[in-house]
Amino acid sequence: MTEPVKKQYDLNRREMPKQLPEVRRYNFNEVALGYTAETAIEEAKRCIQCKKPLCISNCPVEIDIPGFVKCIAEGDFLGGIRILKDKNCLPAICGRVCPQEEQCEKTCVFHKKGGQIAVGRLERFLADWEAQQCEPEMPEMLPNSGRKVAIVGGGPAGLTVAGDLIKLGHKVTVFEALHRMGGVLIYGIPEFRLPKVIVTREVEYLRKLGVELITDFVVGKTRTIDSILGEYDAVFVGSGAGLPWFMEIPGENLNGVYSANEYLTRLNLMKGYLFPKYHTPVKSHRKVVTVGGGNVAMDCARSALRLGAESRIVYRRSREELPARLEEVENAEEEGVIFDFLTLPLRYIGDESGWVRAIECQKMALGEPDSSGRRRPVPIEGAIVTFPVDAVVCAIGNSPNPLIGATTPGLTIGKKGNIEADEKTGTTSREKIWAGGDVVTGAATVILAMGAGRFAARSIHEYLSRPQAEVSQNSGA
Amino acid sequence: MFKVIACRMIVPNMHLLTLVAPAVAREARPGQFVILRAEEEGERIPLSLADWDAQSGTITVVFMAIGSTTARLASLTAGVSIPTVVGPLGNASEIENFGTVACLCGCYGMGSIYPIARALKEKGNRVITVMEARSSYLFYWEERLAAVSDRVIHITRDGTKGYRGHVGRLPEIMRALDEPINRFILNGCTFFMKRASDETRPSGIKTMASLNPIMIDGTGMCGVCRVTVGATTRFACVHGPDFDAHQVDWEELLQRRKTYMPEEIVPLRTSACEDHHVASQEGKP
Amino acid sequence: MKLDSVDQILDFAIAKEQEAWQFYMDLAAKVGQQPVKQVFEAFAGEELQHKAKLIEIKQRKLMIPVQQRVLDLKIGDHLVDIVLSPNMTYQQALIVAMKAEKAAFRMYHDLAAAAGEGNLKESLLMLAQEEARHKLRFEIEYDDNFQREN
Repeated sequence: MTEPVKKQYDLNRREMPKQLPEVRRYNFNEVALGYTAETAIEEAKRCIQCKKPLCISNCPVEIDIPGFVKCIAEGDFLGGIRILKDKNCLPAICGRVCPQEEQCEKTCVFHKKGGQIAVGRLERFLADWEAQQCEPEMPEMLPNSGRKVAIVGGGPAGLTVAGDLIKLGHKVTVFEALHRMGGVLIYGIPEFRLPKVIVTREVEYLRKLGVELITDFVVGKTRTIDSILGEYDAVFVGSGAGLPWFMEIPGENLNGVYSANEYLTRLNLMKGYLFPKYHTPVKSHRKVVTVGGGNVAMDCARSALRLGAESRIVYRRSREELPARLEEVENAEEEGVIFDFLTLPLRYIGDESGWVRAIECQKMALGEPDSSGRRRPVPIEGAIVTFPVDAVVCAIGNSPNPLIGATTPGLTIGKKGNIEADEKTGTTSREKIWAGGDVVTGAATVILAMGAGRFAARSIHEYLSRPQAEVSQNSGA
Repeated sequence: MFKVIACRMIVPNMHLLTLVAPAVAREARPGQFVILRAEEEGERIPLSLADWDAQSGTITVVFMAIGSTTARLASLTAGVSIPTVVGPLGNASEIENFGTVACLCGCYGMGSIYPIARALKEKGNRVITVMEARSSYLFYWEERLAAVSDRVIHITRDGTKGYRGHVGRLPEIMRALDEPINRFILNGCTFFMKRASDETRPSGIKTMASLNPIMIDGTGMCGVCRVTVGATTRFACVHGPDFDAHQVDWEELLQRRKTYMPEEIVPLRTSACEDHHVASQEGKP
Repeated sequence: MKLDSVDQILDFAIAKEQEAWQFYMDLAAKVGQQPVKQVFEAFAGEELQHKAKLIEIKQRKLMIPVQQRVLDLKIGDHLVDIVLSPNMTYQQALIVAMKAEKAAFRMYHDLAAAAGEGNLKESLLMLAQEEARHKLRFEIEYDDNFQREN
């Protein structure tokens, strides 16, 4: 009896071409260069199109991953982008910033052997391919429903709700506090990870679909939500988590101590890396320490490097516990960011003119596991180190801005400043007000915000589709 | 885009800018500010509201040209538009019937204190306005302020009007007024407000100052506007801009405001020759 | 303050827990803002639970053995003192609590050091351990909520 032929799987994940570290550490151009069509097809052909794919359910927006991957394998890029955009209106962004390694790719059958399909890279490829074609296809739009929805915040959650609801025939207005749409996509994530031209393109696409985009409008100040509800049938709050956390240690108000938000907003939103062509000043620092270990900290440290500084990350725990995407940690290491693990700032030391000059840190060790099994860092008695610095970026996290809560009576706010909303629908304690994204969960990922936006859009649509009598009367609807 | 209705210099280096910003004008209250950008590449800067008209949808700011952005704003002409005017931001000033309120102002503070004095007067307060300048030709809006004040007192460095000197003469002025003051309001540059605060501290009379740190977003996102008030860190854009002057760490505010002084005028100095040259080579206008 | 017997020590500690309850309730009243107000009220409730436990220990003449040292993350040690204000955040409320529990721990620890060997010392060490546990609970909460990226 002959042996059955063993199927040979191609477990060789195709590499993403990147700018060389020694080149890219001096520019703000995108690090990852994207697959060519040939590489994309090769990578897509590796997918064995599982009968019961595990990847789809691990995508927060449930993209038909095998579907679009098959299209790429067959060279049908148009078919692929159609499938992709059916569930994800911001694929060029997600393909770049989603932590696929924690989501779809983690459950790929090839994951154990390190050969998981590079879903993110393929998603990005399709989105970039489409952008090079003439005009993106216009999706099918339902007729005008006569209903109006206001969206607070032009970030990932808000843009997703806008995209979904406009296609369902509702009139949609997005109110954004800053002068550009995009939220964290425009002010937080640097140019070298997410080129702003992509964000502009995605926003323009929404404008073409008919979404009204209003910038320089701070809901809670320029108008309250209750005032807006006088003209709109529903409001979705996607105002994000933009309130920076500080360490609450001495010296935090010295010149040269930034929150990550300030540092990144100067560079990304205000294009300070092009100073003085763009007028928002950015100082030339020589030694920058970034405190924290998340994606934001990596972004800050890598930006500081590109501005010519010796750039250090100081993180309280060990490398294994860094919450940042491994890809970004590796990029940072390749570019020359110095990492100081198990190190905690105790205070910032300044000079007579109020500038930070040094940072005094405590060396830590991982202690015994606590009841949750987690080993928490404890100070090593007497182990103090001091670094000379001329700038510190505090990238330890954010919470939601209290403005919406403070100006919307009856809206239940949790102790961490988050709006309390149902996980499945985004409904809040106020009728006609939905919420999703970082303002509900605290700082999290772009794709989770989009997923929450998707659920909320569904719930809003159901609410608005009820017979006229059930929906409270609005003037000007 | 936000259209300029008027832009002119009212006294040397003090400029008045009126813009169409209906959403802001509708909600504006005394003590609040807006954030503006003069052009696409421009910085975002905060300027206190000096006046507004909800009917016509216009707002007015008064500012000194001291850096590249204020210089650009000062050069605007009626009919052009600027890309960003967002607000009204910050908390409105506390307006109650306190009794007698002394409104102390200098520089751009003469403009921004006007709506506050007006509101205090409307609320039934007796309003005493004290204006300080280097010389009498630097006073502006005197008639406006007089219209909402029960008394107007001037201080000039060179003695060309009113008391000779600076706000350090305040205790003497208060003695001469010979009436109880229930509250002081301070609007003006940091040095002025710090000095005025020092002068009112011994009396223990509540003194509110409108702080002017550097800002970018103005909504509480970046923290660059953080000030220390009563040993706690506050964000001027969301907790202020008004704070108890006697609790403010003025030294820290002065130091933090200097952060970008070297950079402030660089965009003014940079010539656009290279851009023009490159553009002309590429056949662009 | 006489602490010559275990009962006296426990009475002292019970009174301290009542004081701690008052401390947090005062903070709740001053803060005014709803979410953080509830946070302080919850902390106050925990102090009442501690008080109840101590009353039970006294009534039933129990002794909780002093184990190995409770984990001390020392999170609050180098943080600035928080000034009470209506804009207080949850992060700041936890810092207040960590420092308050640390102060209580120090107090019992120092009293134990001054006491002679025997029941009195044991009781004081037990109380110190209880405060250390309370502090740890706040430290873990702080670590889990405000140190997720650090």
